[in-house]
Amino acid sequence: MKEQLQERLRHHCTAEGLTLDRADPRQWFVDGPRERVRDFAAAMVTEGARYVVSMGYDEIARNGTLGLVHSFAFDREGLFLHFRTNAPAADPSFESITPDIPNAGWSEREYMDLLGLKFSGHPKPKRLVLADDWPEGIYPLRKEVPHDLVPPAAEDVAYQLEQGPPGTTTIPIGPYHPCLHEPEHFAVYVDGETIKGCDYRGFMTHRGIEKLCTTAVSYNEVPYIAERICGICGTVHATAYSQAVERAAGIRIPRRAEFIRTMMLEIERIHSHLLWLGVAGHLIGFDTVFMQAWRVREQIMWLCERLTGNRKTYGMVQIGGVRRDVTPEIREDILGVIGQVEKELLVIRKAIQNDSSIHRRTKGVGTLSHEEAVRWSLVGPVARARGVDIDVRRDHPYAAYDEVRFEVPVFTGCDAWSTLQVRMIETFEAIRIIRQVLEKMPGGPILFEFQDPIAPGLHAMSAVEAPRGESTHYIITGENNRAERWRVRAPTYPNLQAVPLMLLDEQFADFPIIVGSIDPCFSCTDRVGVVNARSGGYSVMTRFELEALGRRKGESV
Amino acid sequence: MWLTSKLRQILMVLRAGVVTLKYPFEPRPVPEGFRGAPVWDHHKCIGCGGCADHCPARSILIRDVCQELRVMLYDGSRCTYCGRCADVCPEKAIRMSEAYELACDRREDVTTRLELFMLTCQRCGRCYEMENKNAIDRLSLKGFRYDNLERRALVRTSTERLSPELLKKTDH
Repeated sequence: MKEQLQERLRHHCTAEGLTLDRADPRQWFVDGPRERVRDFAAAMVTEGARYVVSMGYDEIARNGTLGLVHSFAFDREGLFLHFRTNAPAADPSFESITPDIPNAGWSEREYMDLLGLKFSGHPKPKRLVLADDWPEGIYPLRKEVPHDLVPPAAEDVAYQLEQGPPGTTTIPIGPYHPCLHEPEHFAVYVDGETIKGCDYRGFMTHRGIEKLCTTAVSYNEVPYIAERICGICGTVHATAYSQAVERAAGIRIPRRAEFIRTMMLEIERIHSHLLWLGVAGHLIGFDTVFMQAWRVREQIMWLCERLTGNRKTYGMVQIGGVRRDVTPEIREDILGVIGQVEKELLVIRKAIQNDSSIHRRTKGVGTLSHEEAVRWSLVGPVARARGVDIDVRRDHPYAAYDEVRFEVPVFTGCDAWSTLQVRMIETFEAIRIIRQVLEKMPGGPILFEFQDPIAPGLHAMSAVEAPRGESTHYIITGENNRAERWRVRAPTYPNLQAVPLMLLDEQFADFPIIVGSIDPCFSCTDRVGVVNARSGGYSVMTRFELEALGRRKGESV
Repeated sequence: MWLTSKLRQILMVLRAGVVTLKYPFEPRPVPEGFRGAPVWDHHKCIGCGGCADHCPARSILIRDVCQELRVMLYDGSRCTYCGRCADVCPEKAIRMSEAYELACDRREDVTTRLELFMLTCQRCGRCYEMENKNAIDRLSLKGFRYDNLERRALVRTSTERLSPELLKKTDH
């Protein structure tokens, strides 16, 4: 199966006159002219590839071009394929692949904003990342722009949200999230109680992390900054970044370090899924779940404090390994805590699985068909609840996942209830993985100290299965002991793009749980933009009113 | 169906009881290895600047006001408590303490300032090499440094000899 695909890809590249770099068996790089972009992307979709992400980069200093990479994944075959191309800086135009792959829409808009690339045929070439008062013609990711540039703010500019379908009323939600307490702005078009569409304006928490880490700090400081991309899945980002650098530089880290990374990732998954369960319960007015899930979760937080020195932002991962070892006492501690969590979680599960109110509020809510999920390249529990059988841990093994056995739960309900079930089962699987990791963990060092500098110009991508889905980090190594380009794509980035589709024809009171069902993380998604969208003169419903509306519906069923 | 799950839920809640802590009346003790506010031991510090080079938040600054005096300033208001400084310190002069109640009105309350008397190297004026030869961990800025302590800004420049011009230029 794998050989056949590789043969076809090789054949395709030879026939089309594209250069194929197969040095790394897990990721291939294809180089080709920019005229080929759309044909190649379409051919990959026909081959059954899943679109991952695009990345633009500045190579003006080296050869006067702006580069673009489209990444695809063949999950069955465990292969990533990156199509690299470039265009002269004077005319940085490419053909858009968004008409074929809707999920590429945001990536392309991002590089219109940040690098000044142009995409012909893009269906919605509006600003995505940059603030509306950011001056035209300054592209912050270009090397000539300093990382601390603050252009003066302008008056009277606002994001032009789309007009709703005729006969609908626009309800603005934001610029602060009604249920997840994060900044974003949805304009929801409603007809009575029914949602007829929505427009999204986000990227308000852009912190310029990618730019900062490629200009101001060196390789080894970035894991601690990467960890702060997300307040919940920090280890995921630190691990993905470290793996990308290790892969680019060809570093093999000690096996024990890989086991400890796996353990930390799974501990984080338990805490994240319990947090989500609590929030989901709260959103539908079922506060018993909220209180109990968070009570159980607190034990994990305290365990992490004993294990790493902090209850969150663990600071465990470093390039070349991990920082703290697992001592025999800590090992017993972990086994005790996860045993207790498993027991209490079973009690919660039994108490809520037949609860009629949770069924009525989540079954058939936020539906999106299997075909749409594949077309929109959804990832994580959101995809697995729609019958898409993908999981980076199994498909593209990293750390110690090749040595542990676990099930990947897949449901076909296509609604919020299925995502709840997927996350519930994954929590139990995470406990199972931690037990195996502690059992099989080999001895030895936990950190590989490497002597040689990392050569510039190397490309690598690493993917890690975050609790919310696949997180990918793409690295181009550079001079001065730091990366030249670092591209982070959090799982909410693809999933959030399909939310307008999930909301279509749903009840307005279900809005919080539908958006909540993808477990969105806006700060992960926004990692690259400073946005100051102004909502204009709408009448605004407060968070409490919306939350109360969602919760009142819970009382009436 | 509805009744049995509600009964189960009542049982679950009753069994758990009250779990809320009496904080802040009874502060919870921190575990061993906790990463609280970093504390400097000025007897051990040799002024190599490794912590300043490796701080991900860039909140440790160094300014050489003259040949013999080096001022090191730790600004806790932007610290992320990652403990990287304590890791790289070759003299183990930095310890992550148990202090975590650090909210305060004045920035000065979370600022540590060390004034270190430095010897002059016969060969180059000032050269410190950590024992660790790791290419990634190497000290990137050697010699004299000019961070702006007033603005709390890192100036990514260093010179082999003390430069009065740079010192003046970075003063405001």
